[in-house]
Amino acid sequence: MAEELKEELMEEDAQKGKFMTFQTGKEYFGISISFVNEIIAMQPITAIPEVDDYIKGLINLRGKIIPVIDVRLRFKMEPVEYNDRTCIIVIDVKNTVIGLIVEKIAEVDDIMDDDIVPPPAIGHKDNESNKYVYGLARTGDTVKLLIDPEKLIGQKDIHMLEEISDKEQ
Amino acid sequence: MADEFNTDSMLSMFLYESGTLLEKLEGIILEKQDADCFDDADINEIFRIMHTIKGSSGVMMYDNIMKTSHKLEDVFYYLRESHPDDVPHLELVEKVLAVSDFITGEIEKIKNGDTPDGDESGIIQDLDEFLGELKGDIKKQGRRLPKEKKEEEPVQFYISPVAEEDSHFYRIVIHYRNDTQMSNIRAYSATYALKEVAEDLLYTPEDILSNEDSADTILQEGFYMLLQTKSSKDEVMDLIDNAEAEHIDFDEITAEEYGKGVAGLGRGEAPIIIKLDDEKEEKKPEAPKKEDSPPPKPGDYVVKSKETGKGKTLAKNHVKQQQAVISVNVEKMDSLMDLIGELVIAEAVVLQNPDLKVPGLDLVNFQKAAGQLSKITTDLQDVIMSMRMMPLTSTFQKMKRIVFDVSRKLGKDIELDVIGENTEVDKNIIENISDPLMHLVRNSVDHGIEDDPAARVAKGKPEKGTITLEAKNEGGKVYITVRDDGKGLNKEALYNKALEHGLIENKPMSEFQEKEIFRFITLPGFSTKEEVTEYSGRGVGMDVVVKNIQSIGGRLDIESVEGQGSEMTLIIPLTLAIINGIVVQAGDTFFVIETASVKEFVRVGEDALIQEPSGAEIMVLRGECHPFIRLGERYDLPNACSKVDEGIVVVLEHEGSLICVLIDRLLQEQEIVVKPIPSYVKKVKGLSGCTQLGDGSIALILDTAGLMLDEERR
Repeated sequence: MAEELKEELMEEDAQKGKFMTFQTGKEYFGISISFVNEIIAMQPITAIPEVDDYIKGLINLRGKIIPVIDVRLRFKMEPVEYNDRTCIIVIDVKNTVIGLIVEKIAEVDDIMDDDIVPPPAIGHKDNESNKYVYGLARTGDTVKLLIDPEKLIGQKDIHMLEEISDKEQ
Repeated sequence: MADEFNTDSMLSMFLYESGTLLEKLEGIILEKQDADCFDDADINEIFRIMHTIKGSSGVMMYDNIMKTSHKLEDVFYYLRESHPDDVPHLELVEKVLAVSDFITGEIEKIKNGDTPDGDESGIIQDLDEFLGELKGDIKKQGRRLPKEKKEEEPVQFYISPVAEEDSHFYRIVIHYRNDTQMSNIRAYSATYALKEVAEDLLYTPEDILSNEDSADTILQEGFYMLLQTKSSKDEVMDLIDNAEAEHIDFDEITAEEYGKGVAGLGRGEAPIIIKLDDEKEEKKPEAPKKEDSPPPKPGDYVVKSKETGKGKTLAKNHVKQQQAVISVNVEKMDSLMDLIGELVIAEAVVLQNPDLKVPGLDLVNFQKAAGQLSKITTDLQDVIMSMRMMPLTSTFQKMKRIVFDVSRKLGKDIELDVIGENTEVDKNIIENISDPLMHLVRNSVDHGIEDDPAARVAKGKPEKGTITLEAKNEGGKVYITVRDDGKGLNKEALYNKALEHGLIENKPMSEFQEKEIFRFITLPGFSTKEEVTEYSGRGVGMDVVVKNIQSIGGRLDIESVEGQGSEMTLIIPLTLAIINGIVVQAGDTFFVIETASVKEFVRVGEDALIQEPSGAEIMVLRGECHPFIRLGERYDLPNACSKVDEGIVVVLEHEGSLICVLIDRLLQEQEIVVKPIPSYVKKVKGLSGCTQLGDGSIALILDTAGLMLDEERR
């Protein structure tokens, strides 16, 4: 038991400060590696009718059907064509497994807490994408926008609540 | 009659169920053992567990289990209703564990093919005393017996109270016939009977319940009792059960003699208290007795004792019971299924690999091997699918048994109609509906059907009551209906009762809808019957039903017409169930339509369509008009055909009405596993789930009912 705990702690330790960074458009984004399950190549996606456009549809991840969303569309950015570098980052946030379609995987970066600064609040309150970005990190010569995956899917919770209350009525 | 029942599957179900429930019970107890008290949820939960065990063990004729759980249920019933705040928690925990150990021990015996013959009376007495103490506590507030004292409680009997003037003292010696079975139990029932009139009572051997050897002692030396009472000799004699007694010595003695106790009177040995712990008692392999229940009380039926024998042989025939059925974690099944899905995809990748397309390759042997591989994977898929599916037959069988037993005991003449018992339902759904269904059926027999056949005849119904159990798979849902032609629900009575119990807001009855009022019966603590019976009537049944059904995402629908009967329908989603579906294509998207709801496929021309001013289209099929949907347009699918004569029209039927849907292409018919659309994606109208096709691609499952509903709204 203690062993397991230790291992778990070590694993967490090893993941601490590591961020999976990816590029979409000109911007670089980072997501804490502890949320990332795996990265898979682009797959055929089954579209679901009548949903928000950023939900691209469903994919079959080894028998498990998971939704995939387009990060660019989620951030209200212009869509880009998918190419052979486009891939899907499968993340697991609070037991919700979803795929994020990103243009290009960059690398895994070490970003220390000290290097993270909160996004400037002034003038960006309306900026949709800012909601999901909890910090900016400068590594090398690029600035990475760090995404809070809970917020990314958090929007959905409201939808789900609505759905539940719909059902109850 | 009983031979008709498939007792085999019932037994394994009972063993499995009780095992799970006991595990759950112990979980709760052990989690809370260091706490100060159980909270309401725990009390309710323990109460429910005991209620269920009581019910199912009653059906299986394991009387000792039934009685023990009934007793514990009583204790928790009291806790739940009266909320005493002075409960000795540790003691309660011990009691519950004792009961749980006892039942577990009995179940172990059943599993090994032995007769569950453990003696329950010790535990029951213990619980009785405990309950009495609890109730006493409430009245006296604070006079709480410390634990040590409680364990020695029988010693109280030896403390001679101050004699009152008009008290008599008797010495009673009962000699049982030499062949009397379980004389200790008989002796106990005598003391029990005398407690009613006794001001004080001592007896020896003292340990009649906990020590099985005492039965021999009693047979050899007789059972000595000293009684202080105001009753006369005749009254006392009447109370003693003398069915098996050879003779009874009955002397009046003085208060002084009485004061000396049993030791001073006849028997040399001083009473010793030996408390064997329950576990030890249970483990005695073959107790020197053949009956497994105390002497029949006046309330017992002949049928019952016969059936007890049945229960025994039944258990003996299944020595290796636990190996016939193993319970597998559904998660493991799921991951196995996922893996097989993966295998199928991998297979397709290999067999259709572009590398094989190189011209001039001789692939004869490869194709042979590939064929073999395909066959195996297909078989594998079939097996995993069928593993999950079970017909409702055995569940319904259990219900037949319940109707049979309960109606017998209540003296009602009831017929059970079973429709659709071959409906296949996912295994985990079966596990979850068995309890609720049992309660519903029991309620129908007990509360639904009139007690008096004359009342039925007066209403113009046949004397014999009918209960219908029906299962069907419709529109992506499983409907299981329990219908009775009994007295139905009385709205006023339900309303008043709910108000009385403070379960609802104080609003006039007219402000509640009919269905709302019916739903009152599902509130915890609600019961339409004043008396608590063995089968139902504590208001626990219905709330268990609702809780279990909700846990699998289903609901309970109650319909009732007073005087004509009630209908309880469990509506369970088809999640994970396998349906026969037709795979169709519209645009680039695959859809699956449940085969059962497809009426026909037709090709029509534009001239069959009429456009309403609102834009909605109607299709004329053989002179009748039906709503028409272009699936491609409806869901905005790219590349879908828009011309009617290029596609195919599927005519779907749901509850008697038809809807026509235009699709591009028909692909195939196959069995599919329904998977829910991930909850992250909001619910889409007209889609009930998704599935994985053989080649790994995903198809959306069309929900006919949802499509129609949506069409009506437009």
